[in-house]
Amino acid sequence: MSEYIGIVIFFILAGAVAGALVLLASVLGSKKPSPVKSEPFECGKVPFALPVGRLAIKFYLTAILFILFDVELVFLYPWAVVYRSLGAWGLAEMAIFLGILMAGFFYAWDNGALDWE
Amino acid sequence: MTDLILLLPELVLVGMALALILLARHVQRARSAAIGVILAALAAIYSGWAFSGKGPTMGFGGTIAGDGYAQFFHVLFAAILALAALLSVRHLDAERVPPAEYYALLLLASTGMMLAASAVDLLILYLGLELMTLCSYILVGITRDKSISNEAAIKYFLLASFASALLLYGITLVYGVTGATEFAAIAAAVSEPSLGRHPLLLVGVALVAVGLAFKIAAVPFHAWAPDAYQGASAPVAAFLAAGSKAAGLATLGRVCLAAFAPEQRIWSDILVGLAILSMAVGSLLALSQSNMKRLLAYSSIAHAGYALLGLIPRTPEGASATMTYAFIYAFMTLGAFGVVIGLGERGEDLAGYHGLAATSPRTAALMFLFLLSLTGIPPTAGFAAKFGVILSAVRAGYVGLAVLAVLCSVVSAFFYLRVAVLMYMTEPQGSAPAHFPVAVSAALAVAAFVTIIGGIFPGILAGWTVPP
Repeated sequence: MSEYIGIVIFFILAGAVAGALVLLASVLGSKKPSPVKSEPFECGKVPFALPVGRLAIKFYLTAILFILFDVELVFLYPWAVVYRSLGAWGLAEMAIFLGILMAGFFYAWDNGALDWE
Repeated sequence: MTDLILLLPELVLVGMALALILLARHVQRARSAAIGVILAALAAIYSGWAFSGKGPTMGFGGTIAGDGYAQFFHVLFAAILALAALLSVRHLDAERVPPAEYYALLLLASTGMMLAASAVDLLILYLGLELMTLCSYILVGITRDKSISNEAAIKYFLLASFASALLLYGITLVYGVTGATEFAAIAAAVSEPSLGRHPLLLVGVALVAVGLAFKIAAVPFHAWAPDAYQGASAPVAAFLAAGSKAAGLATLGRVCLAAFAPEQRIWSDILVGLAILSMAVGSLLALSQSNMKRLLAYSSIAHAGYALLGLIPRTPEGASATMTYAFIYAFMTLGAFGVVIGLGERGEDLAGYHGLAATSPRTAALMFLFLLSLTGIPPTAGFAAKFGVILSAVRAGYVGLAVLAVLCSVVSAFFYLRVAVLMYMTEPQGSAPAHFPVAVSAALAVAAFVTIIGGIFPGILAGWTVPP
């Protein structure tokens, strides 16, 4: 269990710092409540509203393609860290992996996923 | 790099899937893609055959096994893939499904099944099953302009992803208790008395069993099957009934015998419960079906129960009986679905079988053969397979279970043979297609051949069914 003690300390410290900040803000800060401020989110968007209009499906495609490259990076990064110990076969394996990934990208491209109009 | 020999069949299928994806826009007709898929399936069978024993017994850090068990299921899945590809050809052109995408998904789903069957590590097993299920979701919903298909895909996706989460949760709990995901290490840890009695291990084992029971559509985890089979186009339903069930049984068999064999308390009880419920509920609910695909879905649920009988004793002989059952069931259900596909719109509804024998006697005779086999009447392969699993249950002392299995078979005879009665003893209604498409006929010929040969020579698979 002793190897987890660092995580426990981390959680306690994080909780203490966050709690202290909230506490200090509520004790020391000035209070001028307004309806906008008491909404769950204050990022400029109306939090509760019926969806108006349609969202173009094109955004969905872009997001999917983003995930493709995201996954690529997830594997490329740790591979790069241990690259020297993998040798030539490691390079070939990564080339095959990228080739398979790019086949999917090519499929999307070929079928017009990148045409915005 | 010699490890790759173990995955040669999978690599062949993936290679063909990639080629289809790259050429997707240039593949207009289903026929050319189907030919490619069938060649890939034959190459996969051959490569599994030619290189058996040439590679290492274990590969990829002890996560993939190259044993006879994996080889048997490689052959079975490649055969299912080839038959499903044959059954799909005409159907795809009629329903305006993009052929390249469809066949690529079929190939990748089969790859997942093969991977799951050769996995000796819970994570690789999960990876294989998930690859299979992800492709199946899309295949069920691939006829996008049909609302029943969309509904089936959504239902299947929601239930199956929930079951996958349960399976994964079970794997984490088993890992938490035993500290391993390899089957051999799990078995070693479970046989230690201190770990074997851990309460979390019980929960983990139960959750893994639930996740795998979902894949074979065993009651009470069967609710997805009738809706998915009915909503999917018939070749996809056939592929799911044959492939998904065989993959589930392959993984259950290996997990049962290789990983949790020393686990004495709960594993057998769960399997007994699943088998009893599946046989009884599947047979009883099939009685009231009027849609042929739903009827075959409930029949597949009942057959999941029969197949489980072989795994309950946890003996190598029992596992062999279940492997035989998965093999035979795949061919007879593909055959029955093949007739449904060949008859087109008419074949989907039970009323379409009125007087079929008068207008197209050969079709009716084929359907009768597959129905006899599904009931388990000699001299068909279905009888040999059912005899094998019931015998293994009796030998292990589960006589009550064997009696229940026979009783359920009697109940199931009612709804299978009702179709036969409709075909042979009622007045003809409308016209049936005079000739089936060549591809469908070829698939039906193979299925009928296996169904007859397996019945006449019941021991023909004995040399192949190597338990894990």
